[in-house]
Amino acid sequence: MIQPQTHLNVADNSGARELMCIRIIGASNRRYAHIGDVIVAVIKDAVPNMPLERSEVVRAVIVRTCKELKRDNGMIIRYDDNAAVVIDQEGNPKGTRVFGAIARELRQFNFTKIVSLAPEVL
Amino acid sequence: MAASLHTRFSASSLISSHDLCHLSPHANGWKPSHMPQSYKLGRTIQRSLRGSSVVSPMALAANASQDTDDMYDDLFKKYGKVVYKSSDQKSPTAEVDDDAECLSFAVALAKIASDVKAADIKLLFVKPLVYWTKFFLITTAFSRPQIDAIRNRINDLAEKQYGKFATGDTKANSWTLLDFGDVVVHIFLPEQREIYNLEEFYANATPIELPFENEQRFGR
Repeated sequence: MIQPQTHLNVADNSGARELMCIRIIGASNRRYAHIGDVIVAVIKDAVPNMPLERSEVVRAVIVRTCKELKRDNGMIIRYDDNAAVVIDQEGNPKGTRVFGAIARELRQFNFTKIVSLAPEVL
Repeated sequence: MAASLHTRFSASSLISSHDLCHLSPHANGWKPSHMPQSYKLGRTIQRSLRGSSVVSPMALAANASQDTDDMYDDLFKKYGKVVYKSSDQKSPTAEVDDDAECLSFAVALAKIASDVKAADIKLLFVKPLVYWTKFFLITTAFSRPQIDAIRNRINDLAEKQYGKFATGDTKANSWTLLDFGDVVVHIFLPEQREIYNLEEFYANATPIELPFENEQRFGR
């Protein structure tokens, strides 16, 4: 359940540390974003000497949410944090590695690139 | 083992019930001087234990537990140690066949890519590392039109000969990804290939020798 003003961790090595959601892309007036949705976010905290800087506006894909994700087979996945991966306009990840476990639903949303960079897929 | 435990338990419970019903008339006048009476009481219990009225429920219980034991034995014989097994699991031979089919498909794709002069083609068997796919085909193309050409050719071949359709990128991208389910094709521009360095990330995967690579080497 990510909405504008939600702060998210960054699950890649792009250089951003913390994002704040400012808009959900793909629907005109949707309230919440879930795993696999693209958001527009502003970088609230960044690693020094990296290409991405504080207060930059970027696109990101949500990869983990505290709100549970339900599957058709009854499985429920819930993470400890809200996390996103920074992507560019073409959908390529800006970082080169993704950290932590991510859900396989991302593959169905055509983010196989993020899935193939992740160390663990649930 | 379970059966014997069960019978023991039932026997002890019977004794206690007999104890109670025999003791109740003497409960008020119970004294240490009534030892012979108590001895008698013990004898009667023993006798009653030997009697048929006590044995028959025990036998019944034993029979029931034996029946369940037999049932479990039958289940073990039928299904092995694991009684429940998901139905979508394939036999090892079917899995090997599946892998071989995917391998031939991946090699065909690699051949197409090499026909369009993609460089540095690598085919990795990543099934032991990740569960969501079996083969990675990583290639480098030097321009976006070339990426488009590789993508179109691969899509055509997959559709016509194998009946598979790709998800993933629909237009040329600096990292174009075609997802055929069991085979995932990555087409990079040289710069992006160096940045993302997928081969290093999947360094533990088994690289598969491609037949046409050797021909090229011999040709040169």
